[in-house]
Amino acid sequence: MDPAPAANAAPEDRPWGALSDLPGHPMMWVLILTEVVTFGLLFLTFAVTKAVHSDLFAAGQAQLDPVLGGINTLVLITSGWLAALAVEARSAGQRGAARLHLGGAMALGLVFIVIKAAEYAAKAQAGIGLETDTFFTLYFLLTGFHLLHVVLGIVILAAVALSDSVENLKTGTAFWHMVDLVWVVMYPLVYLIG
Amino acid sequence: MTQTAARQVTRAWVLLVLLTLLSLGAGGSGWTGLTANGLILAAAFAKGRWMLMDFLKLRGVPAGWQALFLCWLGLVTVIPWATAALPLLRG
Repeated sequence: MDPAPAANAAPEDRPWGALSDLPGHPMMWVLILTEVVTFGLLFLTFAVTKAVHSDLFAAGQAQLDPVLGGINTLVLITSGWLAALAVEARSAGQRGAARLHLGGAMALGLVFIVIKAAEYAAKAQAGIGLETDTFFTLYFLLTGFHLLHVVLGIVILAAVALSDSVENLKTGTAFWHMVDLVWVVMYPLVYLIG
Repeated sequence: MTQTAARQVTRAWVLLVLLTLLSLGAGGSGWTGLTANGLILAAAFAKGRWMLMDFLKLRGVPAGWQALFLCWLGLVTVIPWATAALPLLRG
């Protein structure tokens, strides 16, 4: 394993300052920090708009399927688990096991996309779209933006499976865990809390 | 594979699955209100914390980074609870 430089290391050993303390490439953490701020603002927008239009949001939420959202949560956290195990395997020099775990993580990412596509298709069949009302505008914006990150995450996992240094795996899986983390907050916010 | 780290990751995954099933049960049962919202969002906070510590490996990084991410997680779970409480309190 190649641990991050200690916080008290010489400045020349920590070229990215405090970011050097985080696992993986510091540039990925710049991206992760940007993403969590962006999603945080989107969550805030959703929550405040929900308080203003509570009846509209209750009616919109009633048309969502919390079970599908829950299954997708289980799919993503299991994918995150496999990605974390891939890093442990690679750190122990088990390249084959690491790639197998990454393959499983990517496959579950694809399952997430298929379930989400089925959910969108059901909404389209019911005549529900981006411009139906404020709830569905925000629903499609939040979940669609997250879905784009899932797609990008799968591409990143594929890239680090090919170029599989421990550092690359830590970097790639850090992005995947961020995507997972954002969904874990988005699911109750959009599907569950009334 | 480093067995201790792998066990820690697997333990976190089991807890994440259990909390997701609990949230799904609470949300799907039609149980609503401030308490239900609070429990569901507390479960989301706990899940996010385990992800940060055991999947993203923030357990070993300086406390400032942990505090930053946990503050974000706290804000994005407490603010939705507070804003959902407003219409309920108005009746």
